[in-house]
Amino acid sequence: MPRSALDRKFDRLREMEESGKLKTRTGSRALRKMLNNPLALVGLILFSIILLASVFAPWLTDYDPGKIDLRGRLQAPSAEHWFGTDKTGRDVFSRVLYGGRVSILVGLGSALLCATVGVLIGCYAGYKGGWIDVICLRISEIFMAFPQIILVLLLVSIVGQSLLNLIIIFVLSGWGAMFRLARARMLSLREEEYVQALRSFGVSTARICYKHILPNALGPIMVNVTLTTAMFILAEAGLSFLGLGVPLNIPTWGNILNVAQDLQVLQNNWWMWLPVGLVISLFVLSVNFIGDGLRDSADPMQQG
Amino acid sequence: MLIFIIRRLLILMPMLVVISFLVYLGLEFTPGDAVSHMIPPELANTVSAEKLELIRESLGLNKSFIHRYWVWLTHAVTGDFGHSLSGGVAISEIVLDRLPATLELSAAALLISTILGCLLGTYSALNRGKWSDSGLTVVGMLGVSIPEFFFGLVAILIFSLKLGWLPVGGRLMPGFDSWFDHLPNIILPSLVLSLMMTAGVMRYSRSSMLDALNRDFIKTARSKGLPEWRINFLHGFRVALTPVIVIIGFRLPTLIGGSVIIEEVFQWPGVGAEFIEAVRGQDYPLVMMIALFSVFAMLLASLIVDVLTALIDPRVRMGSE
Repeated sequence: MPRSALDRKFDRLREMEESGKLKTRTGSRALRKMLNNPLALVGLILFSIILLASVFAPWLTDYDPGKIDLRGRLQAPSAEHWFGTDKTGRDVFSRVLYGGRVSILVGLGSALLCATVGVLIGCYAGYKGGWIDVICLRISEIFMAFPQIILVLLLVSIVGQSLLNLIIIFVLSGWGAMFRLARARMLSLREEEYVQALRSFGVSTARICYKHILPNALGPIMVNVTLTTAMFILAEAGLSFLGLGVPLNIPTWGNILNVAQDLQVLQNNWWMWLPVGLVISLFVLSVNFIGDGLRDSADPMQQG
Repeated sequence: MLIFIIRRLLILMPMLVVISFLVYLGLEFTPGDAVSHMIPPELANTVSAEKLELIRESLGLNKSFIHRYWVWLTHAVTGDFGHSLSGGVAISEIVLDRLPATLELSAAALLISTILGCLLGTYSALNRGKWSDSGLTVVGMLGVSIPEFFFGLVAILIFSLKLGWLPVGGRLMPGFDSWFDHLPNIILPSLVLSLMMTAGVMRYSRSSMLDALNRDFIKTARSKGLPEWRINFLHGFRVALTPVIVIIGFRLPTLIGGSVIIEEVFQWPGVGAEFIEAVRGQDYPLVMMIALFSVFAMLLASLIVDVLTALIDPRVRMGSE
């Protein structure tokens, strides 16, 4: 039988395998698949750069984000002040770095808290069903009946402005979607045979729920966490821009943008608001890219 | 069909009552009451405690919470939504005054995003896998990633401040009040507001179109020898469009949320800008009523979407409940 090109290729592969050049791939298949997606990779790199720059802000800049220097007001970007200085002479670059800490904390932290609350309740309610499920569903419907920003602003006006309040408000306004998602996954997974097997062994409900079923529902939840993070970062920026989010003395991306409400600043001092707006856009874009990559790698059905 | 609508309306009503109760309860925890807002702070010390009690009694503020809620609810049902704290204008009057501007802006944004989103999505689907498709996908991602207000600021800087083509904000110049006169004012806010939704519609119509193009009737049309544009637009697009139209209703939250900030950026005198004003000024009754109106609008929109879906797909009517 004549040997084809394919045979030769396989021979080469076997040779490499035997000589130890070809390693068996390790790590999660989903993760590998995600890293092969160029957009997701770009997202991951961008995300890491911005995140690390914020975390290591004290090493990257010598300026204190809150230090007022009235002699160095309204300076355009220079080698000394990369993003210039604002109306009170504070270095905008260091404010963007330090602001990133708070903004990312609010966005990521609220999204993770939302997921924790939503998944804990959603899994249990979805698995148990009955009156617990009905009550939780009705409560989530009440929260989801509001357009999100209206609910957030309503709660802000009731409990007042502070960093902690904002995170709590975000969690209150966002847990419903996560709850729905976890519950829906649970409803289909609880009919699987392995769940029946576990139940027949007498494994406790909580154990079945959180230890055995939950890992199978994590894919879509992870995707949702990234999208929620993006949403909350945009929401924080919007609220702080309006002056209704994080108190103004704490630097956040939204609070830095706040100055652009003044048309004078908008027209003449572009460095005070344009770079930080671009940073927000890039960061949210990177999170969305990661979310999209996760979605594709977690669910091959949705590739299109 | 009528029974279906009535049933949905019957679910909607208790929902509204429960939400209004919770919001009313929430406002109980806000500092001060109506009386402390009526008296200016510099005069607060001159009014004796007994007198304050008398005023509270005359307004019914000393009654139990449930009683006050009931009074408020019965008034609200008859169309009396109370008064704003600043200025004491009837809330219904404020909202009616501001509503046309918001509706105008939302309608324009809805129209732009639907047309643009469908066209781009279809184009993307027809060129699936080519660089123009991937390019549009990235642009769509950018559309949902840029904060709307930041996009608005950049637009103001370029088109209003640098080029001077369009006004910076506002709705009507004094003295001009025909619809045509404020066309320049609405261009920027409606375009900016439609940005995020366009990206959403584009994504949705792309996958819906791809789905439609794989169906058998498309192959039939092609085997009949119809020209390609006829196949795509008369056969494919029509089928793909139905779910896209239904999705319009679901975009209402984005629309309301977006319009709140966009109205503020462009000083558009709508309900959203009024809402922010009320939150800033701690005008609690007004905040509460606008929030409730928006909930009502959302519930109504989801009802309309359900009815539309039921009209298009009879299986929904059978399956529900």
